[in-house]
Amino acid sequence: MNLKIPALEFVQEVKNGNISAEDFVAKTLERIQSVDDKLHAFLSVNEKAIDQARVIDKKVKSGDKVGACFGMPISIKDNICIKDSKTTCASKMLENFVAPYDATVITKLKEEDAIFVGKVNLDEFAMGLTTEFSAFGPSKNPWNTEYVPGGSSGGSAVSVSAFECVASLGSDTGGSVRNPASFCSTVGYKPTYGLISRYGLISYANSIEQIGPLTRTVKDAAFILNIISGLDPNDNTTVDNKNEDYLSEIDSGIEGKKIGIIKEMIGDGIDPAVLSATKDAISKLESLGAICEEVSLDMVKYSVAAYYTITATEAGSNLARYDNLRYGYDFPVEGYEFNSYISKARENFGPEVIRRMIIGGFVPSAGHAGKYFLKAMKVKSKLTREINEAFKKFDLLIAPTVPIMPFKIGEKIDDPVSLFLVDINTVTANLTGKPAISVPFAISNGLPIGIQLLADSMQDKLLLQAAYALEQTVTLPEVPI
Amino acid sequence: MTKIGLEIHCQLTNLESKLFCSCKANYREFGINENICPICVGLPGSLPRLNQEAVKKATMIAIALNCSTPEKIAFFRKNYFYPDLPKNFQITQLNIYGDTSIGGAGSIMVGDKKINITRIQLEEDPGRLIYEGSSSKNLITLADYNRAGTPLVEIVTEPDFESPKQVRDFLNILSDLLENLGVSDPGLEGAMRADANVSIEGGKKVEIKNIGSFHDLEKATHFEITRQESLHSRDIEIIQETRHWDDQRKITISSRSKEEDLDYRYFLEGDIPWVTIDSEIKEKLKSEMPESISSKKERYVSKYNIPGQVADVLSSDKFYSDLFEESHTESNAKEVANIITTDLMGLVDTREKREESKITATHLKDLADSIQSGKISRNSAKNALHEIVKTGKGLSQIILELDLGNVSDESELLGIIQKVISEEPQAVEQAKSNPQTINYLVGKVMQKTKGKADPTLTLDLLKKQLG
Amino acid sequence: MVTEEEIKHVAKLMRIEIDDYAEYVNKVHAMIDYFDVLDSAGVESEEITMQEIPISNLREDKYIPFNEKLIEKLKNYKGTYVRAPKMS
Repeated sequence: MNLKIPALEFVQEVKNGNISAEDFVAKTLERIQSVDDKLHAFLSVNEKAIDQARVIDKKVKSGDKVGACFGMPISIKDNICIKDSKTTCASKMLENFVAPYDATVITKLKEEDAIFVGKVNLDEFAMGLTTEFSAFGPSKNPWNTEYVPGGSSGGSAVSVSAFECVASLGSDTGGSVRNPASFCSTVGYKPTYGLISRYGLISYANSIEQIGPLTRTVKDAAFILNIISGLDPNDNTTVDNKNEDYLSEIDSGIEGKKIGIIKEMIGDGIDPAVLSATKDAISKLESLGAICEEVSLDMVKYSVAAYYTITATEAGSNLARYDNLRYGYDFPVEGYEFNSYISKARENFGPEVIRRMIIGGFVPSAGHAGKYFLKAMKVKSKLTREINEAFKKFDLLIAPTVPIMPFKIGEKIDDPVSLFLVDINTVTANLTGKPAISVPFAISNGLPIGIQLLADSMQDKLLLQAAYALEQTVTLPEVPI
Repeated sequence: MTKIGLEIHCQLTNLESKLFCSCKANYREFGINENICPICVGLPGSLPRLNQEAVKKATMIAIALNCSTPEKIAFFRKNYFYPDLPKNFQITQLNIYGDTSIGGAGSIMVGDKKINITRIQLEEDPGRLIYEGSSSKNLITLADYNRAGTPLVEIVTEPDFESPKQVRDFLNILSDLLENLGVSDPGLEGAMRADANVSIEGGKKVEIKNIGSFHDLEKATHFEITRQESLHSRDIEIIQETRHWDDQRKITISSRSKEEDLDYRYFLEGDIPWVTIDSEIKEKLKSEMPESISSKKERYVSKYNIPGQVADVLSSDKFYSDLFEESHTESNAKEVANIITTDLMGLVDTREKREESKITATHLKDLADSIQSGKISRNSAKNALHEIVKTGKGLSQIILELDLGNVSDESELLGIIQKVISEEPQAVEQAKSNPQTINYLVGKVMQKTKGKADPTLTLDLLKKQLG
Repeated sequence: MVTEEEIKHVAKLMRIEIDDYAEYVNKVHAMIDYFDVLDSAGVESEEITMQEIPISNLREDKYIPFNEKLIEKLKNYKGTYVRAPKMS
């Protein structure tokens, strides 16, 4: 059984009766059993997965209608709710939280007969970009287990990269899908803000984050987007995509397309290997008929500061509900006064979450909002104007997903400011709501490099076409695990 | 000079669902925590789903209070920790990035006094806390989230009131207005709450929170003015502070809230985009709004010649004015107004009586028409009304059952008249010489018919009989 | 500019008990210091904008009860209430 096949191939094989969903899922669970001790992608595994796959095989055999996923085993970042199963956000605070409802993306995937093979690791409440801040221990990069897999959707990227599932859903607040995708050599896609419902995604910074797929191929990302995108009455921020088919015409090519190379994202501090991969990608795109030119987005310099100010503010508010009264862990209220109880209960948050909440209490406070929060919001507005201006001239923008190579676990954990710079190329898409995708492009010294493409709002189809074209220009080695 | 400003919280009780979820807006009919869902208890991953009708109803209130209404409205988070607040923030409105609250500046006349409205905001109500336990040491706080997320409109006024009496007059006008708009039932327990700020000449502003009814609002402002004046007279400084209204003891108590509690860290609610309300929709809302109380009153006076005071009473109470609107015709309007204001109001003078009352517009119309056509006397009409309110039976049935119909059958009446003539020879002689005294005989006929004889017909027949 | 006092104050505001404030001072200080870069962005005159939706896209006012007894899935007291600590 080849667990390495992409989603679309899996679907075809099950449909044609060449493989059974049950066998594939069983082998996937075995794979998890054998490699996840080393990788720690999974926080929980779905015990019923095999039974669910058997039901699908039965439907295939009897000729009943089967959903588009045909029992495809996918992993779900553990900040997305699946009814009656634990959703922990990799936090001690929600260690025992069982969601009483399905996220919209889960409902849609269930309708199309996807199988959730398990919930995967993340930085606690998605705050981080290495998955080191999981309360349940870090995930490891399958390319070299001494290295971080990126984050915060580290578990998603690891599970796809190490063939522990066919695809995964992560969430991207400032690069949390694209960054681990780049570090683990998978496709990672953050759609236009509002294209995918956030209902059931546990909020970190709700005004800029999106759920996004991590997949083996660009086509797989388009396939999953077809299933999970669209207007959702449960999320007022969703936009109507008129049931766009992102998979059709994906091979349209990029001839004649104008691509802007974002100057501020290939400047100081970029790793030479990353720079050379970026240049290589540009010349490959040019050889396919694209016209590439440098473009400047001045506000990128301020984007990370604005990003952390806004996300800390929203997180400070979003996480206020975890007072342990209505749900949470076992800690009786007897003898405590309200404020001392919840302050004590909230000690269960990890240090990174606490740091960001302190910042989240500081930057929007009455005395400081003008200096920090308000300015951050204005940088967001101006950056959006700048990028809108750029998209009048260019169809797409390009930059490396992360300006540096994956680094060792523990290397940067005590230096939050140096970690900030890892975010510099990804936060722009979140602050402006634009779609962006990381495509695996090179391996340098045994570690992956991803290239990022951005498009204008609701130009997700064009973005996926370009990403597909770029993907076809390289053949990458297989993960050594 | 005394200055009082108000923040009035009014639940939109007439909506079907809560502000951000599909749970019931009128939470009163449920058992503890039976009107809740993942959204209103703020479960992780839930998102607010703004109620379209709430935005419309709140806009109507803004229009009715002559407030400006913005092109687009925004929602903000007010962050503070309290066990009645499931998310530990409240979704509310503010005007920090331009005028984005549902209503901007406006005003309303209270008698001759103009009260300025600062703004109107749409927000969610918190849950309810219940305290259990014998001593303060053993106190247990229990939360019921049935109310959490109920649509609430906050009306903020300028400190334009000069006396508790003005406050009361304003509240009367406001609750009539809200009821007339059909957005709220001010009589429901907890539907109207308020905070007030009070200052006297030379003193600082004092906020009073937690006033649970309009009735107590007048009392609370009165208490606070007296308290401040007493301090002032003894040369004790009135400090700027927040006080709570203790509705058991009917006094205000200083609430020493710590400074950090007051930093609400307001910022935009990212889960709700800015909502655009274009002028077309506003015009449509205006056209759908019920006629204002003052316009109704004017119409009653000018069109039907109803006395000003009667028109006042009739127009300001939605229950009565709705009945009037549905039952009156060009010709019976005055009679209907008369029945409502002189008889019906006495019969249904409490909320319970109103709710139990079986009266409909048809009843009123039949009553007025029957009085005007002489089918029934005013006196009998009053008795019939009593029965209608109690049983809801049709008027004709009641007239039959209680034998209330006027005796207008000529031969029947003639028999009675002849009997009276034979019994009262003296009065008959007197009436023949002095026609003025004929009324005595009419009275006798009325007595015999228990007031049901058609008075005009009786007089006619008597005159004929006497020659 | 971020002192231990200030961190204490904000931690209290955010209801987080911290054993060792000093441990947080340096990192938080470094992060907030970094945000000073916002001062040079020259965005004072910029307007804050957001996504917009027409009122007609909002939810219809309909009562639809949640499909199960949610309180049973929450921490509850005597089966019906949510219990909170005593208030000061």
